[in-house]
Amino acid sequence: MVNPILLIIIPLGTAFLISTLASALKNTTKYLALLALLANVWISISLLPEVLQRPINVIIAGVKPPVGINLFVGPLGAVFSVIISIAGVLILLYSFKYIEGEQQHKYYTLFLLLITGSHGMILTGDVFNLFVFFEILAISSYILVGYAGDKNGFEAAVKYLILGSIGSIFILVAIALIYEGTGTLNMADLAGKFSTLDPARRLMILVFFITGMGVEAAVFPLNSWLPDAHSSAPSSISAVLSGFVIEIALVVIIKFVYTIFAMTEVLGFLAVAGVITLLVGEFAAFRQSNIKRVLAYSSIGQIGLILFAMSLNSKAGINAGMMQIINHTASKSILFLTAGYMIVKTGSYQFSDYRGIAKKMPVSSFFFVLGVLSLLGVPPFFGFFSKLNIIIAALHAGGAFYITMVFLVLLGTIIESIYFLKILQVFYARDTAILDVKEAPFLPLLSIALFSLVILLGFLFLPQITSYTGNIASELVTKLQMAQVF
Amino acid sequence: MNGILSVSTVLNTASAGLIVLGLYIVFTQKNLIKMVIGLDLADTGVNVLLVSTGYIKGNTAPIFSKAGLQVSQMVDPVPQALVLTSIVIGFGVSALALALIIRLYQKTGTLDTSKIRGLKW
Amino acid sequence: MRKFISILLLAGFVFYFATLAGGLMIPSSSADRKSVGLEILSRAKGETGAANAVTSVVVLYRGFDTLGEVTVLFLAALGISVFMKGTGEKRKTVLDQSFILKTGSRLLFPLMFLFGIYIIAHGHLTPGGGFPGGVIIATGFFVILLTSESVHFNKTVMSVLEGLAGLSFIGLGVVGLLGPGNSFLQNFLPLGKFDTVFSAGIIPLIYAVVGIKVGAELSSVVYAMKESK
Repeated sequence: MVNPILLIIIPLGTAFLISTLASALKNTTKYLALLALLANVWISISLLPEVLQRPINVIIAGVKPPVGINLFVGPLGAVFSVIISIAGVLILLYSFKYIEGEQQHKYYTLFLLLITGSHGMILTGDVFNLFVFFEILAISSYILVGYAGDKNGFEAAVKYLILGSIGSIFILVAIALIYEGTGTLNMADLAGKFSTLDPARRLMILVFFITGMGVEAAVFPLNSWLPDAHSSAPSSISAVLSGFVIEIALVVIIKFVYTIFAMTEVLGFLAVAGVITLLVGEFAAFRQSNIKRVLAYSSIGQIGLILFAMSLNSKAGINAGMMQIINHTASKSILFLTAGYMIVKTGSYQFSDYRGIAKKMPVSSFFFVLGVLSLLGVPPFFGFFSKLNIIIAALHAGGAFYITMVFLVLLGTIIESIYFLKILQVFYARDTAILDVKEAPFLPLLSIALFSLVILLGFLFLPQITSYTGNIASELVTKLQMAQVF
Repeated sequence: MNGILSVSTVLNTASAGLIVLGLYIVFTQKNLIKMVIGLDLADTGVNVLLVSTGYIKGNTAPIFSKAGLQVSQMVDPVPQALVLTSIVIGFGVSALALALIIRLYQKTGTLDTSKIRGLKW
Repeated sequence: MRKFISILLLAGFVFYFATLAGGLMIPSSSADRKSVGLEILSRAKGETGAANAVTSVVVLYRGFDTLGEVTVLFLAALGISVFMKGTGEKRKTVLDQSFILKTGSRLLFPLMFLFGIYIIAHGHLTPGGGFPGGVIIATGFFVILLTSESVHFNKTVMSVLEGLAGLSFIGLGVVGLLGPGNSFLQNFLPLGKFDTVFSAGIIPLIYAVVGIKVGAELSSVVYAMKESK
């Protein structure tokens, strides 16, 4: 068995190694980062079949939980590790050309630490350890948002940092109350002891935790940082942040509500929050003229959709939500990455300046179209199946409430398609004002092409993917047991 | 010790007060430096809350060097370890925030969030 | 308007905190409380051989958190160096402090350095350890920087030191992973004689690494901040 802790140690160790060797290796440090992430891809994929048999529990420092810290790798952890590693490698590949300059080794160090934090958050079995990895993830994203060193980047980073810190304060309050009430920090142990607390205290912990995590997950009304941060960051980082960072925070919320706090009665509230987030995101995206802000607001909309699907309190809902996460990771990465080079080549963020860009950058525009179609849920792209599943799951939940919600979700999708088609219309306009614009280099296009394989061929592997997401769903709807950890 | 000033009352008031004061500063002030100070205050409040979860009345530090000290006379060591982590993280975040604010000030010439265009709080 | 809303929100917070949760209850004896920490207390002495139970929690039982914690500091230092690039325009005049302050701070520096090392080396016996010790060492550098602006550190040495210390932390953990215990950060050294400096297995080693890392990181943070003027 490959030890899942390597998923965390390898990128972390490589980050330290890059810092040690930076002055000697100069600009070749990126290959070290690539090696580390390729190792992660291999490890996470080789873990998958084993985890489906039974979850892996990794003991750290030789101390059994609940006394020590453990890693708990269930289907959720394994599948998410695969998503993080693969998206990480492809975006890293894109960065090879996209990020230049003398201090690029710092970019790769930060990128690796971001991957470390993501793996840690999804794999850890300890509440406080979750907080530590959350901070690693959050701080590396603050820095990467401001990495470009322009005014907008700093503004967005400061805003993100202040809101993120408020979020982490709330999470810490929740952790303090958890330890005070139950005397344990281990998730499985906590799941058993949480019901012994009185309901008011339970609700309070839940509210603090969801509020804190909700800042990172960009749930309305805690998402005012997202459009700035995701649009001011370098495009590769926007892809990472929209691609899996907000989803991780969201999945952690869902995991806590179902398996640890086991308070499914708040799910109705979360579903409403999800739909509001969706509508707010889509309406705001409709009014934007900056292409990256459109994509950022669309991410808010998508996260709302995923939250809605996962709050349906049914396996089908979680299953559909997971599929939508995979779809969103692939398609939003494509969109941000292609938009990145359009911005570089044209020097403008306004998509109205891209009139007729499809003639000059045909490959990029083509991939952009693919991303849009999958995001909108046009058959036969992967997004169609995930959206279809969400609607079916919501209709299964029944009742006037969910029917209304489905109606609102469809409304959101319609708005989404209107503004995306507006952009495509500009891209494929007959007349063009752009003169000397060239196609993006090969390596970034390769990375984008590999992402689009996921959404193109996703429907061929639908049975396999649904078996994985189905396993995640059954993991998430059952309360965590201490016995699973031993 | 069950008067108004019992240990738990003092700790609860201190932590809740610091958190509320800190968050109030963050929400209402427009000066970025003041906001960071508010965050630090709130952070301190959380640390007080966190470390107080391990306190047991009349018990002492969990160090075994002194002969004859029983386990039942010691406080819980875990919150102390947690608070160490939390302090270090808080330090890192505020240092980073201040560095960012220095740079933002160099670019915009102001610390007032209402005067910085993009920051719609 | 915003003030009003935030006061309202925070008042709700206070109310909730004070009434519904009933605040924290401080137990009057350890018999009244059941927690992981108290279980650790009863076994820490035998298992880790460290006299200071907080240290055994920080370095062994929750050593993975500590690895994350030094990573956060590393990130902060890295972030500051990212943001402060290209702002080191040389000031025209170097403002050194008076001779007395300069000499005094240089006399103070070795003492602070030594004290920092003492704190780090005794982390498993007394309150203290890698973090406070590292901070004391960094303060020594800070005092020097405050008094004489013409002093320059070698940034490369700093970042190499940070990286090496981090790698050694992970290396110590991986030795445990490859060893018989097959667990990351597992103690693989003999526990030694209780309550002496050379005891508690890998705890002093990890704390030494943490001390170096914290010292180097904080010094480079201070240096980057100072350079940016």
